[in-house]
Amino acid sequence: MSTVVKKTINFTLNGESISAPEGTVILDAAKRKGVFITNLCSSPKLKPFAACRTCMVETVVDGKKELVYSCTHPVSEGMAVRTDTEETDRYNKACLEMLLVEHPLDCPICDKSGVCPLQDNTDALSLYNGRFEIQRRNEPSIKTNPIIEFYLNRCIMCGMCVRICDETQGVQALDYHKRGYKITIGTANEEPLDCEFCGQCITICPTGALMDLTSEARGLASMFTNTETTCNFCSWGCTFKLETKKGQLVRIEGDETFDVGINEGNLCAKGRFGHGIVQNENRIQTPLMNVGGEFKEIGWDEALQTIAERITATVNRSGPASLAAIGGETLTNEENYLLQKLFREVIGSNQVTNLNHLRAPYINAFQQKCFEGGIVSKPITELEEADVVLLFNTDIPSEYPVAGNSIRKGAIYTGTDILIANPRNVEFRHESRTEVRMTYKPESDAAVANRISRILIDNNLINTAQAKQVLPNYDAFVQSLGKYTSQYTEEVTGVSDASLIQAAERLGRNADRFILIGNDIIETGQGEAILSALLNLSLLLQHGGEGSVNIYPPREHCNSQGVNDMGMVPETLPGYRLQEMNQQNLVADLWTNCSQGAIKMLFIAGEDPCRSSSQASKVKAALQTVPFLVVQDMYMTETTRMADIILPTCSYAEKEGTFTNMTRHVQRVTPAVLPEGQARPDFDIFGDLAQALGKPFTHTSIREVQKEIEQVALSYKGTFPGKKSAQWIPTESGIKPEFALVEENAAEAPPQDYPLKLITNNHMFHIGSYSHYAKALVDIGPDCVAEISNEDSQAMNINSGDRIRIQSETDFLEVPVAVTDRTPPGVVYVPKNWVDVPVNKLRNGHQGLIPVRINKQE
Amino acid sequence: MDTPDSENPAEEIATETAPEEKKICMETVSRILDSFPSRSRRYMIPMLSKIQEEFRYLPEDVIKFVMKELNITRAEIYGVISFYHQFRVTEPGKYIYKLCYGTACFVKGAPIIAEKLKEKYHIGQGETDETKLFTLEFASCLGNCGAAPMAIIGEDTYGTIDPEKTIEIANNYSL
Repeated sequence: MSTVVKKTINFTLNGESISAPEGTVILDAAKRKGVFITNLCSSPKLKPFAACRTCMVETVVDGKKELVYSCTHPVSEGMAVRTDTEETDRYNKACLEMLLVEHPLDCPICDKSGVCPLQDNTDALSLYNGRFEIQRRNEPSIKTNPIIEFYLNRCIMCGMCVRICDETQGVQALDYHKRGYKITIGTANEEPLDCEFCGQCITICPTGALMDLTSEARGLASMFTNTETTCNFCSWGCTFKLETKKGQLVRIEGDETFDVGINEGNLCAKGRFGHGIVQNENRIQTPLMNVGGEFKEIGWDEALQTIAERITATVNRSGPASLAAIGGETLTNEENYLLQKLFREVIGSNQVTNLNHLRAPYINAFQQKCFEGGIVSKPITELEEADVVLLFNTDIPSEYPVAGNSIRKGAIYTGTDILIANPRNVEFRHESRTEVRMTYKPESDAAVANRISRILIDNNLINTAQAKQVLPNYDAFVQSLGKYTSQYTEEVTGVSDASLIQAAERLGRNADRFILIGNDIIETGQGEAILSALLNLSLLLQHGGEGSVNIYPPREHCNSQGVNDMGMVPETLPGYRLQEMNQQNLVADLWTNCSQGAIKMLFIAGEDPCRSSSQASKVKAALQTVPFLVVQDMYMTETTRMADIILPTCSYAEKEGTFTNMTRHVQRVTPAVLPEGQARPDFDIFGDLAQALGKPFTHTSIREVQKEIEQVALSYKGTFPGKKSAQWIPTESGIKPEFALVEENAAEAPPQDYPLKLITNNHMFHIGSYSHYAKALVDIGPDCVAEISNEDSQAMNINSGDRIRIQSETDFLEVPVAVTDRTPPGVVYVPKNWVDVPVNKLRNGHQGLIPVRINKQE
Repeated sequence: MDTPDSENPAEEIATETAPEEKKICMETVSRILDSFPSRSRRYMIPMLSKIQEEFRYLPEDVIKFVMKELNITRAEIYGVISFYHQFRVTEPGKYIYKLCYGTACFVKGAPIIAEKLKEKYHIGQGETDETKLFTLEFASCLGNCGAAPMAIIGEDTYGTIDPEKTIEIANNYSL
């Protein structure tokens, strides 16, 4: 149990009586009391290692004096610790002195200068003149991969990079090689680094031996301006520092300060190296107007005036309901709030939505049902203390990489059990003793969850009487589980009942359970049934089991949660307040209503539905038909090219506000650089539009709008962050616990000529299509490569590296292919992020995984 | 096996005997791994030793197989291999020429022997000659200083070598 209470140990530190939980090492206990002990190889994220030997302290236990390494030695009752005796200093100094014999003192051109533990320790020990002859290494730096430079002359063999790569990232691409004085850190056989490129090793390296090659500035990190902000890629919401120098964004670094953000300084490749999207010459520089098919640069006044006139004219001619808006999943909360306010209050139209909601309106409903059922879900910072984690149809290293870091930490320190349910044999390396793999047949997700529920009930793994008391439709639910016998489930899912029983037993114990769901479930076309099955499973555990259940809705982009919270949906106002619908809900079927002329004007804020929608041709037809289209974006996209007016907007590094992550943490976005060209924050654009329409907003600053949001969306009260993020909590919960009884759609028999299923999602190094503007991410993930199984490759005589043609009922595309163990037979996997490999076009309206066939291209 | 050929699977399949050979070789490795209580990384070092006894070095394909079976990464297995000098990842010559470079042997002319070998076979420390006859290794001390300078070639021990007769001795060996 993560709730085991640890004994408190009392001891003295430099004469002062203090206490710490049992098992705390002396170094950590001292750090918490603000006492600095020299050290180079210790991190609270990693297991104790004792490589650098510079953290020696003196301990006296029962009158017996000992010199011990404080990073590995736990405190004990009555221990007297001294950190600054002449003796310890002498030992620590000697070790550091040895390191300095070889370490090049090239501080002025070192990336770590000023934030370098080696400098700090040298200074703390007043080690100004060494006794030894200096023998500096002078090997050339290794630049065999596009992202991480190895300048091993500075390496002090602390092993932090080796350990973080192994323990936190589960990749272990680095290790010690050779031995003795020839020892070095590196990859196997000095091959080019080929890993997840998370860059964790760069942040943790205490000396600048590993450097960020994507950074344009070298040296003196302490002179950079640091701006703490929230990442704008996936919905996990990592906090990091934007480092700027003379107005240029030069680097992104993790912030390892205790208790800042939810990610402990961990980042992924996208977050750390994706800064190329900010200051980029391909950005749209000025407002553009479509004049007879050509885009003409215009001024802001003209653009806003034209839009305002058009809005007024459309309202007068066709009524306010003929104007619709799509909110942005990468816009801030404040911006989305203003956009819905502009539409609801100024224009008088309730036709607002967002792409996530348009595709899967059941996700918001799922979230509400969780709250009603009493499942509020803890802050995600507690994921590392989970007893059991269920990863449901999510490929963690690609989808939520930093969640993987927390889970691995939990596996080491809490002993988290890891349950992985996925149609693909996804990789997830960790140190947990328990892993249950449920690799099920594509589209049988709900059956897996339902069978686990049934096992919980049948095998009495939970208190069914208690659950029955709370949940009124318990009997109906049990009845609905009737068909999920072990035989039926095994037949449908291909997962052995033994595995499912094992999973159920792990979930049924008294435990803190976390369930993370992947966006892949939306692609199966069974999203609603799957979420309902998982909701029911959670309700059973919540009301029939002991401990806690934490389940979060799947969200894709950085503010996919916030855009819904802010009421960019037709059904609810900000804070999910229900409203009386006095207008027909035209946006529920937006594209048809555009094509059929019910919508006369469409506003798209920072989205590219032409590419990202599952109904590509329908979207294009709609956008071609709609009489007036305004698109706000940073880059030209297929969608902007169809617009009548394009407004250039700011990136996350140029604007202020907040993002809400998928676990409802409201986190700050802070500007670090000036906007590109004439780009303006969406926040200002909406304010100016309201003014141009003659009804200016009363609140015009970010802070004022945040106050307004706190008043209308009560759950946001007190969440707007200072330095620390806060999770919003629903104002009401547990008011109507009830199972959701949603039938799975009967799986369609695949069309005869299309025997394979296509699974597509975000690539490890890309998200959406905008990450392609970051050169570094293209360097590490240059090509779209499809994946097929060994079995299929042999049957069709296709080898890795061949080009294949993937044909669906509506379209085809050609890609190179790799044969992997990850992919099960009968499945083709293609990442969806390449503009020249438009996977969504194969779908074109089809619900569920796309039936395809493949041929080898000669 | 460590030639660039192995990087191109297509070529490997193209030669007809290759897959057959590969199968036999993996069966041997499998047998070695099975002679341990479990296929666990805790037995990695003795496993690698036995494999090297069988193949005289650790072929790339075998390393990949062991990585997969023991669920360890490439960096980790190479970390172990590079730590121990006796592990080899390239195919050695028919005979390992272990030349003692201990103090006594050094003084008595080991460097001259090394020089002669370099002249004739163009090999230095750790290198293999073109015909793959010898691989030259320097030993820290072979423990028989009374017979310095000494060397072990293959299974044969030579003591009190006259450095001038280096090549004569080497000529006893052929492919």
